[in-house]
Amino acid sequence: MDGKHGLLNAPTGSGKTYALWFPIVLNYIQKNPEYRTKHKKGLKAIWITPLRALSQEIKQSAERITQDLGTQMTVGIRTGDTSSSERAKQKKNMPDLLITTPESLQLLLSSKGYQKVFKNCSAIVVDEWHELLGSKRGVQMELGLSRLKTITADLRIWGISATIGNLEQAREVLLGPASEALTNSVLVKANLNKKITVKSIIPKKMETFPWRGHLGLHLMEEVVPIINNSKTTLLFTNTRGQCEIWFQKILEKHPEYAGEIAMHHGSINKETRLWVEQAIRNESLKAVVCTSSLDLGVDFAPVETVVQIGGPKGVARFLQRAGRSGHRPGKESVIYFLPTHAIELIEASAMQKAVRNAAVEDRIPYLNSYDVLIQYLTTLAISDGFYPDEIYLEVKQTFCYQTLTKETWQWLLNFLVMGSQSLKTYDEYKKVEVESDGKFKVNNLAIARRHRFQIGTIVGDASLSVRYQKGGYIGTIEESFISKMNPGDVFTFAGRNLEFIRIKGMTAQVRNSPKRTNKIPSWMGGRLSFSAKMSEILRQELYSAKLDSKFQSIEISALAPMFAKQREESIVPKPNQFLIETFKSRDGYHHIFYPFEGRAIHEGMSSLLAYRISLLTPITCSLAFNDYGFELLSDKEINMQDVLDNNLFSPEYMLSDLQKSLNSNEMARRKFRDIAVISGMVFTGYPEKGVKMKHLQSSSQLLFDVFKDFEEDNLLYQQAFTETFEHQLEEGRLRLALERISSQEVVWKKCENPTPFSFPIITDRLREKLSNEKLADRIKRMTKLLTK
Amino acid sequence: MTQSIHIKNQTFVLHPCGGMFWEEKSMLLISDVHLGKVAHFRKFGAAVPRKAIHKNYVLLDSIVSHFNPFQICFLGDLFHSSLNKEWELFQNWVAKTPAEIVLVSGNHDIISPLKFEKLGISVFEELIIEDFLLTHHPEERQGFFNFCGHIHPAIRLRGFGRQNLRLSCFFKSKNQLIFPAFGKFTGTHTLQPKKGDEVYAIVEDEVVQV
Repeated sequence: MDGKHGLLNAPTGSGKTYALWFPIVLNYIQKNPEYRTKHKKGLKAIWITPLRALSQEIKQSAERITQDLGTQMTVGIRTGDTSSSERAKQKKNMPDLLITTPESLQLLLSSKGYQKVFKNCSAIVVDEWHELLGSKRGVQMELGLSRLKTITADLRIWGISATIGNLEQAREVLLGPASEALTNSVLVKANLNKKITVKSIIPKKMETFPWRGHLGLHLMEEVVPIINNSKTTLLFTNTRGQCEIWFQKILEKHPEYAGEIAMHHGSINKETRLWVEQAIRNESLKAVVCTSSLDLGVDFAPVETVVQIGGPKGVARFLQRAGRSGHRPGKESVIYFLPTHAIELIEASAMQKAVRNAAVEDRIPYLNSYDVLIQYLTTLAISDGFYPDEIYLEVKQTFCYQTLTKETWQWLLNFLVMGSQSLKTYDEYKKVEVESDGKFKVNNLAIARRHRFQIGTIVGDASLSVRYQKGGYIGTIEESFISKMNPGDVFTFAGRNLEFIRIKGMTAQVRNSPKRTNKIPSWMGGRLSFSAKMSEILRQELYSAKLDSKFQSIEISALAPMFAKQREESIVPKPNQFLIETFKSRDGYHHIFYPFEGRAIHEGMSSLLAYRISLLTPITCSLAFNDYGFELLSDKEINMQDVLDNNLFSPEYMLSDLQKSLNSNEMARRKFRDIAVISGMVFTGYPEKGVKMKHLQSSSQLLFDVFKDFEEDNLLYQQAFTETFEHQLEEGRLRLALERISSQEVVWKKCENPTPFSFPIITDRLREKLSNEKLADRIKRMTKLLTK
Repeated sequence: MTQSIHIKNQTFVLHPCGGMFWEEKSMLLISDVHLGKVAHFRKFGAAVPRKAIHKNYVLLDSIVSHFNPFQICFLGDLFHSSLNKEWELFQNWVAKTPAEIVLVSGNHDIISPLKFEKLGISVFEELIIEDFLLTHHPEERQGFFNFCGHIHPAIRLRGFGRQNLRLSCFFKSKNQLIFPAFGKFTGTHTLQPKKGDEVYAIVEDEVVQV
C-alpha cells in the first residue's frame, strides 16, 4: 500500500483479497515489533462488502494471513445477520479486523462513542466498489468515509473494482474530488487478460422459436449436454422468478439430477445459500440455477462452465459472470448465451463483439442525493450529535455533495429540526433538536430506534418472511405477491410446493403441499437498460442483416427466417432509416417506434413524444418500451402524418417538454418512493411488529400527492424529478439519440399484423401512462365499453 | 356536480367531496376524515407537509356550506390517533359550525368520548334511524339498510388501449352503502363490484355512476 490510497482494478478470483489483507497485517507488524507477545486490542482495519453473503469467505482469507504471520489479530463480521449478543460483545471489544456492509458501517456511526472505536483504524477497503458506485449505497459509503477521515489518525482508503468504463471517476468518487487522499493515490490494474469464449445456443428450428418471452425454456434440452460435459455449471437467470421456474422444470424433465442440482437466489434463507456455496466448492453439485446473488466475490474453483439465460443487459455483468468459470489463473472462461426469444439472438451477437472490444459501460454516481444526506445527519444526531459547521466541511468534500451550497445546507438543517422551513406554534414536529451549544442531537429514544431500523432497509416492496407454522424460516417474498393468494393456494418457492395458510404479522405461514402448481412469485427488481456503447454495437449487428450470410455472425444468419417475416409487412431498417410501424388490434391502436437505443432512452423518448402529441390533440396513451423500441398504445388512432409534419422528434425544447411530460406520468412518483423511505418520511415498520405501527404507516404515493399539492418546492420532492432525468432517462444520451433520428429517413409502415420486431414490445404488460384528456370524458368512454 | 339516489323512499345527495346529504332528515353523513393524521406523523418525526392539515377543514367547510345541514353525522375514524394539537383546530371548527354533530365511533377513534361530549358531540357505537343502520364497520342486519365507512372503497376501470384508472367511490350493494374516505391524506382499497352493485365514482368535481 506504500502509505498511499487507491483503487485496485481486478476481476473476481484473482487473489485480490490477499493482495489487500496482506499489507494491512504487515503494516501492523511493522508498527508493533513485539506483536507476537504484546497484542494491542482495538479496531485496526475495516473491509466493506456489498453482499453479506461474501463476508464468510473474506474472513477466512484474513484469518489465514493473520495466523500464518503469527499475529494474535482477531477477525470479526458485523452485518444484518450478526446476532445481537455478538454485536454487544463486539461493542465492548472490537475485533482487530472488521468485515461489514455499508449499512452496518452507518449503524456503527449511530452508536454512542463511535469516535473512540475508529480512532486507531488505519485502513478501510471497499470491495466491489463498482457495485456500490452507481447506487445510493455508494453515497452512504462516501459519507461514511468523509467522517472516518476526520476521526481516524491515519487512514488508508482502498477500493476494489471490476472493470467499468469510468474507473478514473470511480477512484475520484471513492476518495473525494480535490481531496488530499486523491492526490496521494494510485490506480492499480491487474493485467490478467483472461481468455473468455462466448458461445450462443442457436435454436435448431428457427421457424418455431418464439418471438417473445423471457423464460427460455424452449432451449432447455440444449443445456443438458452442457451440464453433463462439465464438472459444475452455473446457470444465471435474470430474475428470481425465472430461477425458480428453471430449477423446477429441469428436475421435472430430468429427475436423474435430483440431489445434484441446486438453486441460489437472494430471497432464499441464508443457511441454504451457504450450503449451496459450500457444495459448489466440494464439487458435489452438477449445476446451480442462480441469479445475480452469485455474481460477486466468492471463488468457486470447480465451476467449469457458465450459462447465461436471457440477455444480461450489460457487458460488465456478462464478463463478471463469464469470469465465474475457469477460476484458476490461466484457465479459459466459457460462457454460453441462451436466448429466450428470437431478437435476443441479435443481442447475443452484439455481446460477443462487446466482449472482444471490452466495451464496458460506465456506472454513473449519484449527485446531490438529499435523502441520503438527511439520513446520515440523523444518524450522527442519534449517536453523539454533530456541529453543522464541522460536518458541512466534510460533506462538501465528497463527490456527491461537492456543489452543496450554504443555503441548501441550511434548508436541510431546518428540515431536520422543524420538518419545514419555518416555525409554527401549533406544530409538534419532533426529530432532531438543537442544544444550547449548537449541537444537533436526537434525544428521543423511540425516534432513534426507528431510525436505526430504517438505515438497514434496502428499499423495495414491503417483504414478508415465509415460514412454516412451527417457525422454520424459508425466505422472503414480496407483499404484492402474497396479497393475491387465498388460504389453501399452492405456490412454488425455494424449490418447494407450499400451501399458503395465513398472514400473521409480517410473516406468511405455509405448509408443504403435494399439489403441483404454476404459481411462482415474481420479484420486481430493476430492469436494466443497454448502455450507449452496447446499443451502438447492437445497431451495427442489426444493420448486418442485409449482408450476405458469409459476412454475418452465426446468430444473425440464424435469424434469416425472422428477418424474412419482418420484411413481409415492414422492413429491417438500414443505418440511415428510422422505422415506425402502426396497426390496430383488439387492444387498441399500436404505434411503434424503433430507435434501438436501449430501454432507458426509449422510456424518456416515449414520454416526450406522447406529451408532444398530446399538445396536438387530447389523447390517452399507455407506453411500453424495451431495448429495441417503444410503443404508444391508444384507444384512438394517432395521426402519424401530423407527428412527422410537426417534427415531434426535434431535440429542441427537449428538457422543458420532458419535464412537463413527467408531471403527467408516474416515473417521478416511483422514484419518490425510495426517497421518502431513505429520508425517513415513510416508516416501513418493524419486521415482526407490523400491526402495532399501523398509525404511522402511509404510502409514499399518498405522500407524493400531498407534496405536489402543498409543498412543491421541497428539495426531496424535487429530487424525485432530478433523479428521473439523470439516472433513469439519461438526458444527455436522449438528446444525442434525437439528433441521430433527425438525420435519418423516416420509414412509416402501416401493417395489418404485428411484426416480429413489435411482438416483444406490444406484449409487455408493465406500462407507463400519459393522458391530458378530461377524466370525466375518459370515464364515459370506459363506462360505455363496460355496458356494451 | 352532485348525484341523487333513492333508498327506501328517501332521497340522498352524493357530493364529490365524499359526503352524502340525507334530504328528509337534513343530515350530512361523512366517513373516515382521519383528522390529526398529518400532525400525528409530524409528532413522530415524519415531515408530511404542514399545510396539508388545513385542507380537511377547507373541504369540511365547503360541503357544510353547500348543504347547510341540521345535523352532521361522522361514520367513524374522525380523528386518526391519540390527542395532538390538531384537536384545537378541530375544536375551533366545531365551535363555528352551526349544525349539531354526532359521531359513530370507529377503530381509529381512540380519544375518550368525554372529550367529544365536552364539545357537544354525542358518541355512539351505532345509530338506528328508521330503517337505516349507521355504523363504522360494514354490517348486515335483517330489515335494515346499512351506511358505513372503514373500507375506503375505490374502483378500477379499464378501457380500450389497455387504459386503467382507480377512483375513490361510494359503493352500494343491495342493503348497504359504503362511503369513500373523506380525508385528504388517506389511502383506498379497490373493490370488485358484483352483479346488482352500484358504484358512484368521484371524478374530480363530479360524482359519476359507472
